[in-house]
Amino acid sequence: MKQTTRLLDILDRAENGPIVEESQWDMFLVPDEIERVRSEFDIHLDDVGDSIVPQDDALADRLFDAGLALAERLGAYCVSTSRRMQFTRNEILNPINVAPLSISFGEDLDQHTEHKRAIEDPAHMTIKGGGVGTPVPEDLYLLVHQSYAQEPLIDAMINCTMERVYGREIRSRSPWEILTGWHEAELTKAACKRAGRPGLALGCVENAVSDVAELSASSYGGFSRRDWHHVAMISEFKTDYMLLNKLTHLVRTGSVIHSFYNTIYGGSVGGKDGMAIAIVCGCIMLQMIYMTNTHSVSPSHPFLDNDTCPEIMVAISVAQQALARNSRLLTDVVITPVGGPGTKILLYETAAMAILAAASGACGLIGPRSAAGTVPAHVSGLEARFMAEVAHAAAGMSRNDADSLVRRLVAKYKDQLDKKPIGKSFPEVYDLVTLKPLPHWQAIYEEVKQELKQMGLNLT
Amino acid sequence: MSISKDMKTEYQKQLHLAIQAGSADKGIELARNALDKGLVPVEFFEEIIQPVLEDLGDRFSRLEAFLPELMRGGMVVKAVQEKVLEPIIHEQSDEMASRGKIIIGTCQGDIHDIGKNMVALMLQVNGFSVVDLGTSVSSRDFIEAAKRENADIIAMSTLITPSMPFMKDVIARLDSLGLRDRFKIITGGAPVTREWANEIGADGFGEDAVEAVEACRQLMGV
Ligand code: B12
Repeated sequence: MKQTTRLLDILDRAENGPIVEESQWDMFLVPDEIERVRSEFDIHLDDVGDSIVPQDDALADRLFDAGLALAERLGAYCVSTSRRMQFTRNEILNPINVAPLSISFGEDLDQHTEHKRAIEDPAHMTIKGGGVGTPVPEDLYLLVHQSYAQEPLIDAMINCTMERVYGREIRSRSPWEILTGWHEAELTKAACKRAGRPGLALGCVENAVSDVAELSASSYGGFSRRDWHHVAMISEFKTDYMLLNKLTHLVRTGSVIHSFYNTIYGGSVGGKDGMAIAIVCGCIMLQMIYMTNTHSVSPSHPFLDNDTCPEIMVAISVAQQALARNSRLLTDVVITPVGGPGTKILLYETAAMAILAAASGACGLIGPRSAAGTVPAHVSGLEARFMAEVAHAAAGMSRNDADSLVRRLVAKYKDQLDKKPIGKSFPEVYDLVTLKPLPHWQAIYEEVKQELKQMGLNLT
Repeated sequence: MSISKDMKTEYQKQLHLAIQAGSADKGIELARNALDKGLVPVEFFEEIIQPVLEDLGDRFSRLEAFLPELMRGGMVVKAVQEKVLEPIIHEQSDEMASRGKIIIGTCQGDIHDIGKNMVALMLQVNGFSVVDLGTSVSSRDFIEAAKRENADIIAMSTLITPSMPFMKDVIARLDSLGLRDRFKIITGGAPVTREWANEIGADGFGEDAVEAVEACRQLMGV
């Protein structure tokens, strides 16, 4: 729960914890401690064989204990003060044990409530559709967002970033960043109004690469307290004054906080075991240092930028299961495929991740961040509709069934991942006047849906 | 003086172990021992350090080794170079073993550093001497550091579009200071493309850490 009392406590720790060099944190403290808990709690994801959605509750529980132990032993690190922010086991468990099991965002008729889900839960996940930070040219920005907002299955939207503002280059932590934050608010709100969903909750301020755009664009007339505001945790388990500035503002304005942590496969956390431990610990730390409402960890592959490789997917699945079984935290899965609009692979990757998330107990789905979120304007609303349809069809599926479906899907795309099939840009897949998918993109979507039905997924 | 193949393999194995243990002391002890046995610093670098690091880099590019090992590799080798090899090389005013000096950092406003760290380490394990300025480095600081360190290459990374203009600033600033010819510029990071790098007048570009090493090799002609 958010309040100034806890905020002060968090800020105090960033001032008073032991001083440690950042290189020491990155090079020794994090990897060494991860290795230690990995062997202590016997976390070996290789033991599940080829399974991508494992069904090993004991492993999930050990993973939770490992993540909790890591959070307790490591704490977080404040880069601005070079201090470790440490918490005792009880201090960690107290907020986790009272975290609310639901959170509502958005306004009036467009309000939506995200709920805690269990593994194999028949309840639907919350669908947060959008291009997740993908850069989009200014003139397409409104249309791209409208293509998402008009999809009825989307419960909330997640914004893209803007390539330029008023035709000018955007510079981080400058007046240009502030202008971009405002432009994001104006255009995404306009997109929602046009779609007839003026109160749809917006994932923002996506263009706030520093604190200034967040603070400005969520003041009067900009984003509302009931939009879902982003605060990042720097990998691995680090924060700084800029991020704590965002936090302080959001706590004092009573806004919905969504925080995220993107760990990298093969990075400081090591391989899939370390990554799974880091995901659990990451969600716990996000709760500890940001009092966040919804938690997301979006791991990526160091060379492909995606999260749809089997070695990353298995870590996400077990970590989500660990958090579903052992905590009250509301956790979201971000889908980051390599495929872009107009490709089948994007839909296969999205389907595999949506099914995995549904069966593993995730509460919300974010994305898809098509073409890994790095290729300008390579995003469109249709893939978010598809993500929602698959996610809802997969609700209630057993882990066993999910695993076999996910493996069949992964087999379809695995060999293409390193080809970076980025597909086509928004104007090449949507009619910019009717804002409908162009026939070739619609046909691919229909075709893949048909394939999924044949594979046994209960799609309408 | 040359040593036997067996000895070489043994030293390489020991260095590999020192790296895995993250022990600079073990690395230093090993190098001292090898030099006592008559190996000269350049030989130790070329025949022991380089093959071990190249193997590490290869394993990392196949994701068979992970970043922590790469970090330790960089750290142990740096200690060996600074504490053992360089003092002797300077004494003998011999050729420096480094393939070139590189200033690297993430541009102003950007805190993404994982890719930059990987590039820095891969450059280091491939024989370049690297000074890492960290994240959110201003155009001015890039240039000041390059002058201070007498660098050959300035390597700039960014993952976010709003920090790309700061790369241009570095080049513009070098131009206005009349220093453009003194340093080579290389850029990279997800939103940076080869075309964009050309457009702003950079000398090199790398899609990933392996290409980054290749580009720096080309620029240095090594
Ligand atoms: C990890 C990550 C984070 C972490 C960073 C942690 C850290 N310590 O670095 C956190 C959570 C903090 C974060 C924060 C944000 N992020 Co971020 N993040 C990512 C993510 C998922 C992966 C980046 C990464 O590390 N990849 C792995 C490394 C190994 O790859 P790489 O960096 O590309 O490096 C390789 C090459 O590019 C190359 N290379 C890199 N540098 C150099 C330099 C030279 C000289 C050369 C030759 C080569 C080279 O070699 C490297 C190794 O092979 C990407 C999305 C993605 N899928 O790529 C988004 C992404 C970069 N982030 C993005 C955004 C928008 C943000 C935020 C603004 C979100 C927000 N609203 O808060 C903040 C920005 C904070 C800031 N001021 O910088 C956008 C950027 C869009 C854009 N073009 O502007 C992306 C693309 C995702 C998205 N679509 O939203 N993020």
